[in-house]
Amino acid sequence: MTDARQSRNQEPPERPAASRPPAVSEYPEPPEYHPGSARPELNRPVHERYPQIRATSGYGDPRIRHTGPGPGAGTDQEPERSSKLTARLVLAMTVVVGQLWGLTVVIDAWMEGRTGTAWWGAGFLCLSFLVVLGLWLIDPKDR
Amino acid sequence: MSVTDQPPSPQPPAGDPREALHDRIAADSLTTRRDYLRIVATVSGGLAVGGLGVAGGILPRHGDPDDAKAPSPKRIADQLLPGESLAFHYPDEEDRAVAVRLDDGTLVGYSAICTHLACAVLWRKDRGTQGELYCPCHEGIFDARTGEVTAGPPPRALPKVVLTEQVDGSIWAVGTTRSGESIEHGLCRQLSEDRPDLASRIGCPAVKGGGAEAPSLGPETPGSRS
Ligand code: FES
Repeated sequence: MTDARQSRNQEPPERPAASRPPAVSEYPEPPEYHPGSARPELNRPVHERYPQIRATSGYGDPRIRHTGPGPGAGTDQEPERSSKLTARLVLAMTVVVGQLWGLTVVIDAWMEGRTGTAWWGAGFLCLSFLVVLGLWLIDPKDR
Repeated sequence: MSVTDQPPSPQPPAGDPREALHDRIAADSLTTRRDYLRIVATVSGGLAVGGLGVAGGILPRHGDPDDAKAPSPKRIADQLLPGESLAFHYPDEEDRAVAVRLDDGTLVGYSAICTHLACAVLWRKDRGTQGELYCPCHEGIFDARTGEVTAGPPPRALPKVVLTEQVDGSIWAVGTTRSGESIEHGLCRQLSEDRPDLASRIGCPAVKGGGAEAPSLGPETPGSRS
């Protein structure tokens, strides 16, 4: 860049004549604009449309409040809230695994004719669902 | 046309700004953990509904009658020689079953519907020490004398079909049991509501006045049974 600017700055002084026309032409016409560097070897092809915007900068997600240049850019901005959400998700998935097991117990009980056990198992499945529902309802808008 | 020259969109996003925001976020295809939590909650609700359905009886069981009546006896064969097997349907047309005469003369009958994923169970005389019931779908193996699972993925024993042999050698199917249920228990369960006299004759405990004799299916069935 600096090379280019210097080379451009050096040329114009030769052009203005001794007799000075009105102010309009006092300054030389700006050189033609070329994006990129004047040194062609620096103009490697860039395939992204906005190469300055890194994928981690939260671009496109206006909910990101603080990110951007500096240490920690692009990482989670609220680790406490985030880990609470992760914990809820892990708990809910654990309960669902328990439900899958409970369903096999219910099916076995029903097939073996133990209808009472099957109903107890169904109650267990419903309670587990309420637990998961509660985990979700703590903050359904959290991300 | 280069990538940057984009045609003007036919409809400028003049609508709801919240909708535009949603589109913008959705275009990033972020599946957030909140979404996962919602999915997990939905799955959990589905499992709960499924459990209620199972306990309420959406799964068919072998021998469950449509009209809550004990199945009537059915003659399935004139004779069955040792080592042979016979496929039949009892009590209904969709209740596939298999009868086997073991080499020592024991007569056994089972539902032929695998308890794993409902494939057809086959009698394989050449397998095991005394032959075994074999499900070819996932190599499930059931013991020929008890119907218990000895190998493979099936979760429960095969339901039994109670067979008796008459004096003339004909084979009759007289009842069914649930998976893992004993023959006496199954017969008593089916007979006690419908035909209490017969139930008491074979010594069902729940029916008062039950005979002291061991459950033997009455005097007219001297044949061996499983
Ligand atoms: S269906 Fe019989 S083993 Fe899977």
